[in-house]
Amino acid sequence: MSELLIEIKDLECNIDNQKILQGLNLKINKGEVHAIMGPNGSGKSTLSSVLAGNDNYEVTNGSINFLGEEISEMSPEERSWKGMFLAFQYPVEIPGVSNINFLRTALNERNKYFGIDSIPAKDFLKMVAEKSELVGLNNKLKNRSVNEGFSGGEKKRNEIFQMAMLDPKLSILDETDSGLDIDALKIVANGVNKLKSSENATVVITHYQRLLDYIVPDFVHVLHEGKIIKSGDKSLALELEKKGYDWLKTDENI
Amino acid sequence: MIIKDLNHNSLLKENSKLDLEALNLGSFPKRKEERWKYTPLRSLKKINFHNQFNFKIEHLNSLGIPKIEGLVIVLENGKFNSSLSNIIDLMDIELLFLNDGNIVNNSQEPSHKDYFTNLNFSFLTEKVVLKIKPNIVNNSQEPSHKDYFTNLNFSFLTEKVVLKIKPNVTINEPINFVNIISDDNCISNTQFNIDIYENSKLHIRQYFLGSSNSKDGFINHRNQVSLKSQSSLTIDKFQDLNQNFNFCNEFIDQEQESKFIMNTFSASGIILRNDVFNNVNGKNCHSELNGVFAPIEKQHFDNHTTINHFVADCKSFENYKGVIKESGVGVFNGKVIVHQDAQKIEAFQKNNNILLDDESKIYSKPELEIYADDVRCSHGSTTGRFDEEALFYLRSRGISVKKSLELMTLGFINEVIEKSNDSAYKEFVLKRLLKD
Repeated sequence: MSELLIEIKDLECNIDNQKILQGLNLKINKGEVHAIMGPNGSGKSTLSSVLAGNDNYEVTNGSINFLGEEISEMSPEERSWKGMFLAFQYPVEIPGVSNINFLRTALNERNKYFGIDSIPAKDFLKMVAEKSELVGLNNKLKNRSVNEGFSGGEKKRNEIFQMAMLDPKLSILDETDSGLDIDALKIVANGVNKLKSSENATVVITHYQRLLDYIVPDFVHVLHEGKIIKSGDKSLALELEKKGYDWLKTDENI
Repeated sequence: MIIKDLNHNSLLKENSKLDLEALNLGSFPKRKEERWKYTPLRSLKKINFHNQFNFKIEHLNSLGIPKIEGLVIVLENGKFNSSLSNIIDLMDIELLFLNDGNIVNNSQEPSHKDYFTNLNFSFLTEKVVLKIKPNIVNNSQEPSHKDYFTNLNFSFLTEKVVLKIKPNVTINEPINFVNIISDDNCISNTQFNIDIYENSKLHIRQYFLGSSNSKDGFINHRNQVSLKSQSSLTIDKFQDLNQNFNFCNEFIDQEQESKFIMNTFSASGIILRNDVFNNVNGKNCHSELNGVFAPIEKQHFDNHTTINHFVADCKSFENYKGVIKESGVGVFNGKVIVHQDAQKIEAFQKNNNILLDDESKIYSKPELEIYADDVRCSHGSTTGRFDEEALFYLRSRGISVKKSLELMTLGFINEVIEKSNDSAYKEFVLKRLLKD
């Protein structure tokens, strides 16, 4: 019997008084991979932002239970400490802050929260070497400012590198395939697959079926107007690729 | 502003009979004057200053600065404090202290062991001090000579340190000059003259410090720097005054092919004001003024700079960063003047500021005056806030708001901090600037 990781119930949320999520329900167990698909403007990126705790979004109803705890009022940093990770669709550039310093700070802040000593420099560097290999991140990028002057592909690899370093329980990949060529896509997907375990889960948010050839989902959900209107296995993604989203809307009488 | 009890110094004794107006100090700066428009001096004006020359500090480390190695010159409350200082014998450097007619001279020149030379020096000391005044009045080219605080400094001078480095000498270890205020309401008028002779190279660290338990003290300091041809000087200047004031008037004269760099780090103080006048008088010079100022809690940090390019083929660079929060106020007014016939000048000036909240303020005024026709010059100023998206990004990786802002601040000022190549010093300065 697999263990429940996160349960989202009747989630409603606003941005600038506009309703984006309108009663979303989703359950994810440890060890699972879920894909969330849907047309533009259906609320996919909003869902990822809300889960990560972006306070531009206001949760007006419903609950998010993560590892037995209600997190909808929790700060982004605390969610991260508890094992939430969002790989950004558009990773942010932070001038003057080196990638290495950024990650060391992140790990040490989490250690501080759990009352653990800072990670020794030697262990940290060893870990960096190991984890960056996973996504073939160029050594030079590690010492450069966070995402500054990175190509689109490098930024996405850097996201997965950070994911590897933080070893989260729930990883949400927000359109990680956008801006990636086929080779980079394979490398990124390969990295994600290697990080998969029976203890964690992955949510893949994507427009296209292509990524799901490499990161194979256990469940596929279709989001439309802030609700999940259909769920299925990976064959649903193939069907969507062929038929588009319109048949679903008529099917579900929306 | 009232100054009283100025009777512990022979020079002051004469002057103490006169009131400030009679000393011809000029009128006290008002905000309607352009140079003081953004820096109100009410808080300074209301203090009744004294100068008792008390020594209160027992160890330099009680001031929160890292251990300083090598030659250390310490002034406390306007007077040379020999027990805190470390006057080691550095070959090729001549060091003179001009106070109360006493002289300390560490130079190895044989003449210093000579009784009559010493007698001569001792006698000369008073002469030098007295001679300074007419020099200033005569040198009417520079606008600051009508400046109230320069006049105050010369009239009530309590200590002057003269440091000379002989020609063709490179000294890599920094020379340290520590100027402390540790007594409430104490005024300290001090001067530091630095003469770098031909083809010599020196690095100076200046610390202006206010002890954490003193308040309303005032260091009114003057740096006078002379760089002979092909010489080089770097000054790292660190200001951490706590509840005290510090004004620095700084005059730098450069001869040809000389290089001058000054990095000013302003961490705390009620009002900090730096007036830098960099006169470039010879060709192929390099002049560089950098700074980070980080006022919080109604502190007011003001950087005024003037670079005068009198001759052709020189380069100057200015880079000041303001990080302002919790009702802090920053001022940057940089002026680059390229005089007629000063062709092929490259002058770049920039000031970038971050305001961390709605209550903080920056007045930024980059100025360029160009009277030559073949130059490359630019100046610019930016003021903004930290990117909300970047803050969310860092927080989503488990970095708290406080630490995220600290990281972004570090990223913002790093470019200037990196100018210093000593990692222990860098770390210390950063810590104080970030109020960590």
